[in-house]
Amino acid sequence: MNVLAFDTATPATVAGLRIGDAPALARRDEPAAGARPGHAAQLLALCAELLEEGGLTWRDVDRIGVGVGPGTFTGLRIGVATARALAQATGAELVAVSTLEALGAAARAASGGSVIAVIDARRGEAFAAAWDAAGTLAHAPAALAPEALGALADPQSAPWLAVGDGAIRFRDRLEPASAAVPDDDSALHRVDADRLCRLAAEGAVAAREELVPAYLRLPDAELARRARSA
Amino acid sequence: MSARLILGIETSCDDTCAAVVSEAGEIRSNVVSSQGIHDRYGGVVPEVAARRHLELVNVVVDDALRQADATLDDLDRIAVTQGPGLVGALLIGIATAKGLAAARGLPLCAVDHLQGHVSANFLEPAPFEPPFLCLIASGGHTFLAHVRDRTGFAVLGATLDDAAGEAFDKGARMLGLPFPGGPAVQRLAADGDPSAFDFPLAAGVPGLDFSFAGLKTSLLYRIRDLGEAEATRRRADLAASYQWAIVEALAVRVERALRQTGLRRLAIGGGVAANAALRERLGAIGVELAVPAIDLCTDNAAMIAGAARFAEPLSAADARTLDAYATGQRGL
Ligand SMILES: [Zn+2]
Repeated sequence: MNVLAFDTATPATVAGLRIGDAPALARRDEPAAGARPGHAAQLLALCAELLEEGGLTWRDVDRIGVGVGPGTFTGLRIGVATARALAQATGAELVAVSTLEALGAAARAASGGSVIAVIDARRGEAFAAAWDAAGTLAHAPAALAPEALGALADPQSAPWLAVGDGAIRFRDRLEPASAAVPDDDSALHRVDADRLCRLAAEGAVAAREELVPAYLRLPDAELARRARSA
Repeated sequence: MSARLILGIETSCDDTCAAVVSEAGEIRSNVVSSQGIHDRYGGVVPEVAARRHLELVNVVVDDALRQADATLDDLDRIAVTQGPGLVGALLIGIATAKGLAAARGLPLCAVDHLQGHVSANFLEPAPFEPPFLCLIASGGHTFLAHVRDRTGFAVLGATLDDAAGEAFDKGARMLGLPFPGGPAVQRLAADGDPSAFDFPLAAGVPGLDFSFAGLKTSLLYRIRDLGEAEATRRRADLAASYQWAIVEALAVRVERALRQTGLRRLAIGGGVAANAALRERLGAIGVELAVPAIDLCTDNAAMIAGAARFAEPLSAADARTLDAYATGQRGL
């Protein structure tokens, strides 16, 4: 099975192509500090590069895995819309991959211990999830205030490793709770293309219309409307 | 199937649209899925629109193909609105069109939304050939264009603040009418006297530009001065007078533009083209008037596919990296 998988939940655009059981070919575009994410311009171009390198055509892709976040809304939609359109054009299977799970699974593989995956949710919030050393979900993906992050590191399941751009951003909340955060330049903080491909290869196939981003947050206008009518 | 077909996709605002048009300009299908979820917010919410576009876009494309009795195999190329519009909304159509085009090896055309509105006039069964003057007025844009050929246009004037459709929406809200405001104001105005109140026509704005901000403020003051009970009692007169002011402000500049350019042919488009008072007023000018079918005036994808008949497709590399743009020059 050939799997093309990509993720646009963070400012980076990450894409991988797994041909059979071989380690995935990988591409990544990281915007310069302060620059706008390049998802719209980069995603399809990186995928085309991967196919060329792998000697495949779009028709040879059996399965498309897409990171559904949580993360930046516009980025998520570019990824999901692209995956849906590619599947519509080729008939490839679709699989939703949790971006937090991709981060967490890679960290657990590296440390063997309990992990917290954290993505910067902007506006001073974090998207986070936690797994114990056995890989059991200890805290489902949710939007949290930074001060709530430390509580994810349950001492019973220590030691904890926290990864993701949100772990870097909220290092000061995690480290005091005895969750280790790798150096800022550690690869564990970034979504890994091979991990995406593997999770996509193992994941359940989704119906196209059910493939939607894991926003984890309502639109502001809807929150305001509910507040008014409450 | 021998006819060469173009699939158009348009998601610049709150309608998810796909259409199939033949190379000859025949509309094979024109699907518009109006989201209908923005009424509760009193206007289009960009984040809500983008979420809904993503949920609808593939189904709308499927519908457009099915209604055209076509499949992706029958397509000659794909056209998509690049801008101007809500970026988050545009990107859904763009990502979809790019994915379909890349995976199918089809050429991709990036179409300007405003060129799309102008190009609605070139579609069968009654194509209106350039040169002509074109007034596009909707909730998002209001401008006058000199259309010399089928590939472009020169902007003669544009709104300096609100769009005409926006003026209808805001006026409707002040009068306690639902969103979208145009149809609601028109219905109420039918029972009112358009000369009951004097509203400003932006006479101070020179040339061919439009301004509706003063009109909106004027309605606000008038309602306040009348007091709630009296304003409610005279709602129909207020609506009729307010509508007359919008129509007259548009018509006066259309007449001025016809005089300046010497053109004797006029086309209109955009959602405000559905307004009966505007059609009547422009029809009385005495020049040849083209009004496309109303589903070609409001946002739709047939006009985008239609515009692509006269556009150069992007190179494969440019198609892969296509990005959206939010606003055109001068914020049309
Ligand atoms: Zn429009």
